[in-house]
Amino acid sequence: MLLILNIAMLVFMLAPIVVVIWMSFTPGAVFALPFSEFSLRWYEASFAYPGFLNAFILSVQLGFVSALISAILSLLAAYALLRGRRVRGLELAEGLFLSPLIVPAVVFGIAMLQFMNLFGLYNTFFGLVMAHVVVITPFAIRTIQSSLSAVPIEVEWAAENLGATRASVLWRIVLPVCSRGILAAFLLAFLISFSEVTVTIFVTGPSYQTLPVRIYNYLTDQVDPTVAAISTMLIVLSIALVLVLDRLGGLVNIRK
Amino acid sequence: MAADAQARRLGPLALLVPLLLIMLGFYVWPLIQTVINSFHPYELSGIDFSRWTLENYARLADPFYLDTFLRTARISVMITLITCVLAYPVAIFITGLSKRAQALLLLVYMAPWLVNVVVKAFGWSLILSGNGVINRALRELGLIGAPLQLMFNETGIIIGLVQGHFLFVLLPLWAALSALDPRLKWAAENLGASRAQVFLRVTLPITLPALLAGAFINFTMNMAAFATPALLGGSRARVISFVAYEVNLIELNWPFGGALAMALLIATLIPIWLSRRLATMRQAKLREA
Repeated sequence: MLLILNIAMLVFMLAPIVVVIWMSFTPGAVFALPFSEFSLRWYEASFAYPGFLNAFILSVQLGFVSALISAILSLLAAYALLRGRRVRGLELAEGLFLSPLIVPAVVFGIAMLQFMNLFGLYNTFFGLVMAHVVVITPFAIRTIQSSLSAVPIEVEWAAENLGATRASVLWRIVLPVCSRGILAAFLLAFLISFSEVTVTIFVTGPSYQTLPVRIYNYLTDQVDPTVAAISTMLIVLSIALVLVLDRLGGLVNIRK
Repeated sequence: MAADAQARRLGPLALLVPLLLIMLGFYVWPLIQTVINSFHPYELSGIDFSRWTLENYARLADPFYLDTFLRTARISVMITLITCVLAYPVAIFITGLSKRAQALLLLVYMAPWLVNVVVKAFGWSLILSGNGVINRALRELGLIGAPLQLMFNETGIIIGLVQGHFLFVLLPLWAALSALDPRLKWAAENLGASRAQVFLRVTLPITLPALLAGAFINFTMNMAAFATPALLGGSRARVISFVAYEVNLIELNWPFGGALAMALLIATLIPIWLSRRLATMRQAKLREA
């Protein structure tokens, strides 16, 4: 009984993903059950459509810039939270950094939309980056925190005793020791930024449509297998990034 | 020397400042600004900042918005209940496997979370639409004449979100079941309990806090979901986040859009607060005992 139910659940969980991948290789414009022919025409079509290609490039740029900013600032902040003097404000700051996980994306998206319009940031790359930095920071900070906590404080004391400054302790001891954690934080932040839809829909102007937003808009007026090809590439990219993350030990940290 | 020591102790705190500034400037401020906007009247020329009003909040009681809110809450509860009922047997099954198999299966259940919501919604539309996999299979088998309406209604939203948020109930439940001492079950079985009794009187009560924690998270995520209900429910089954989207981006009525956002925020924060309350109450009870 349990086995049958589990198999049914696995089918349910994976069906939409499998169907998308299947569809992307189907020659016809509608989903065909008996898989008669194999075709790459929708991949060609998706590369030929400039809307998707430009959106992909924008998503990569946005993910890279915001993940870089978030990873660097999260590293500094996580270090301060770990080694700073125990004051009450510190916990408050930590709660603030993690709270975007609790505040619904729709609510933050609306707030950001109104804010950016009032302050002339709407339809700018800068505004988009800032919105993404907020969304991805909880993930970056969590990941970096857990890798930082593996650095024994005695090592830092030893370095300081030998005359190292704070900055050089951070640069030459802490950074190398948790470089894997920082890389994992960067990749995870990139992945989340790259696939973020809800906040982005509210803050993207017409000239800055990320790939997921472009797909969303495309789906609201038509369905054709070009989207299946794009989606399959997105799935492959996510799997690749997740495998790298798992190697770096990043996924274990999120689960906590 | 004293100043140096002071600087050394405060030193790390300075590292906090850049992120703090960004979070205050681009997160706290926008949220506060939206609250402020929601207390001003909306004019065609923009927000009238010279007057303060509660009319945007009064408008939330309009039957249209109230109904949308209640429908969203009802759908969210249904999704949560279905998810909980399905997650139990899955979690029990996974816990019984070897460590390797557990990790592998959990990764498979994690996969949908890692796939973009838009991509998943597209996949569901290929399966559920009038011309989709299910309807065509049923038609070819001669079981139905007219296609079943499986999306652009509440059914579509429920299917999409049960899949999308399943993990958030499964993971805590799996963790709780893994931590469960098997000797408790053996003891119960030895005393003559049937499998159903063991589940109802041993397993369920012990894992209930984990189930509740997952259920509350699941509920809040269902309440606030946007892309999945928008693509699978469409304009015929509007949820509150979709209405908030229309008010903010199509009507451009930010004061009322802000009020809707705040109502949605409160509707998601209350369950989170409740679940924390429950957890602390339980801990207090355990300490008493």
